[in-house]
Amino acid sequence: MVSSIINFAHAQETPNQEWNQFRGVNRSGSADNVQLTSFNEKTPKLIWKKKLGDGFSELTIAGGNIYTMISERQDSITGNEFIAAFDAKTGDEIWRTKVDKMFFDTFGDGPRSTPAIGENNIYSLSSYGKLTANSKKDGKTLWQIDFMKEYGSKIPRWGFSSSPVLVGKNVIVEVGGTDSRAFMAFDKETGKEVWKKGEGMATYNSPVVTKINEEECIIFANGRKVYSLTTAGDTLWTYNSPVSNPTGMPIVFDGNKIFISAVRNPAFIVLEVNDNKAKEISRGTSMKNDYSSSLHHNGYVYGFHVAALQCISVETGEKKWTKRGFGKGSLIRLGDQLMVLSDKGKLIQVKATPEAYTELGSIQAIEGKSWTAPSFANGKIYLRNLTEMACYELK
Amino acid sequence: MKLKKLHAFVMFALFLTPSFLSAQTADEIIAKHIKAHGGAEKWEQVNALKITGRFTAFSLEKDFTTYKTKCGAYYSDLYLGEQHVFEGFNGKCGWTIDPWQEIDFARNINTIETNVFKQKAEFFTPFLNYKEKGHQVEFVGKENVDGSEMYVLKLTRNDGKSEKWFLDAKTYLEYKCEASWVDFARPAPAEMYFDDFRNVDGIILPFFVERIFWQRDRITQIENVEINPKVDKSLFAMPKRKEISKLSFMQGDWNVKLEFVGRQGTYQERGTTESCIQFASTNLLQEKISYENYFPNTLSINFTYDATSKKYRIAAFNDFTSTFDMFQGDLNENTLIMEDTHISYSENKNANRTCRQFIYTKIDENQFTVENKISNDEGKNWIPQARLTYTRKTNENLSKK
Repeated sequence: MVSSIINFAHAQETPNQEWNQFRGVNRSGSADNVQLTSFNEKTPKLIWKKKLGDGFSELTIAGGNIYTMISERQDSITGNEFIAAFDAKTGDEIWRTKVDKMFFDTFGDGPRSTPAIGENNIYSLSSYGKLTANSKKDGKTLWQIDFMKEYGSKIPRWGFSSSPVLVGKNVIVEVGGTDSRAFMAFDKETGKEVWKKGEGMATYNSPVVTKINEEECIIFANGRKVYSLTTAGDTLWTYNSPVSNPTGMPIVFDGNKIFISAVRNPAFIVLEVNDNKAKEISRGTSMKNDYSSSLHHNGYVYGFHVAALQCISVETGEKKWTKRGFGKGSLIRLGDQLMVLSDKGKLIQVKATPEAYTELGSIQAIEGKSWTAPSFANGKIYLRNLTEMACYELK
Repeated sequence: MKLKKLHAFVMFALFLTPSFLSAQTADEIIAKHIKAHGGAEKWEQVNALKITGRFTAFSLEKDFTTYKTKCGAYYSDLYLGEQHVFEGFNGKCGWTIDPWQEIDFARNINTIETNVFKQKAEFFTPFLNYKEKGHQVEFVGKENVDGSEMYVLKLTRNDGKSEKWFLDAKTYLEYKCEASWVDFARPAPAEMYFDDFRNVDGIILPFFVERIFWQRDRITQIENVEINPKVDKSLFAMPKRKEISKLSFMQGDWNVKLEFVGRQGTYQERGTTESCIQFASTNLLQEKISYENYFPNTLSINFTYDATSKKYRIAAFNDFTSTFDMFQGDLNENTLIMEDTHISYSENKNANRTCRQFIYTKIDENQFTVENKISNDEGKNWIPQARLTYTRKTNENLSKK
């Protein structure tokens, strides 16, 4: 509960039940004030299911539309990457605009980054490092910056995957460029460089905008360093982290604590920040997030410990329960329930409680490789696998 | 009286030692564990298993088929994501075809993989007849794992490799195992979890096995188990490379008629000899042949296929001349033409060199010929030198040599 009070809808002034960026409002993977009935009592109703170009980008939802990134092959070695808009009611495509060439990979083609929805525009980062602003209305490209060309960034193994965040007049994203251009802010309207900060190659981390000790800040965790910056790009503090290249979102809780997890040992650490100094207060191996993010609720972290759904105490790291069989899935929290999507498209409703793993029902919602976390808006859950998306009514 | 006291004391002291304690306790636990799996008597009747189901890697679920035999042989045909993988093990040596390693032919497994294949070859539990197999078991203690009490046993295999097994204290069935696994031919610590135990003709097997090593997750979901199926033992043998298999017509024991070109330019018979041609490896066919052309010659001939140049190669050692010679060429339908025209051991072009050519021609399953020609103009014109006619030996006339 504390976390939902401390976290605040910063990215935009958005109605609570929209999903306007990676991991939703506040990037916490959670939505409060949601009351759901058990799947066993009322099976979620399929509203629509649509074929979609390849990709792992989350589905962002605002103003009745879905915005996401997709890719489409032209032949076996060429193709294009798009930012696209769909009608949330029907799943029908409204527009698509090419932002880059297609990213091919043995484990799954297409973009990994999730766009951020602004008031009038949408901001995306392509697999080859092109930050683009498009009009929400018709997809028209307003500006584009090529990180590899402009800032000497190098493409990471899985492509540029950081998801941009909107703060005031700026769009902020991991760039991974040379000359202190690890993270940069750009003017939302013009794409003009506003500030640059930090060192390091492009990784897979996405910034979280939060408040720590009531002070607004942006947290980045790239390579082996955690940065806290002001929205103006000034450094508040940095911390040399033992956790290497976390992909999951850092979780800010209790007003001044940060949980950071990655798949390799030491797995997770908890930092406590006082007087703009970060100190490690605990670490453990009981939560190894690979490519999906954990979430925090009432003093406990729920997430995928490699391929086991797990609940741990954020204070002690003690494992409260484990449930296997969902592969390397993903999860979000809706009210007091977890919506868990298995890596093969099974949607499981689970009580968000440390007492015991308590399943309230499940449906085979989509088929095939499902590595993208669900999105939730206005009573509907939106799911995506590598090649299709689906919408289910939960209430 | 003193002796009796001493004996009692020794027995008491022995009883207190951990090894005595653990040996007894471990055996008791294992007895119940085997019973939980259907009992030793039932397992005695199991000589082989055919297991089919679904295997998940990289979140992609695909069919798999596995054979295991009592003597520790193992074969599996599975998919790792989109890649089709084959594995075989004869109880001692194994092979794999794994396109993830960018190798599309069978290769021998390394020692780390051998340890893993031994685990894969087990009839699920390694504790069945573990003493006969030369394994050792130590009872480590009780531990709470994921909310349940477990007996923890340390298994040390006969090769010194150890594993930690967690058996459910209520059911005595395995819940978890910690063992060394392999990832891209390198060692990786793994955790395995067992679930969904089902009865198949009286034996109890886990139909769900999840294995986690590094960040990898592999799930085996069994759909069907056939006990004592008909097993083709050739499955466990390392498959030959596709291209070298095309030379199978040369494999066998042969009587060889020798003909050499005389002064009149015609072939003249020079008696017979014998030859044995066998596959020595996945990409190696070897011939050994001796003959006399005035002087005794013994040839050791190695045939291989080079995937890079897409050419067949011969490396032949002649112990009369004491030289190694290389030839390269192509197989066209039934004729393999090998030459040394493209092979030079000198940086300077030698206009006077003599090139050699060998033409292997399949006549039928029981006969092929080898013609030897030479060229003094870099292969523009070839002059016949010798002809060898190979006739397959029958069972009756197989030489005792």
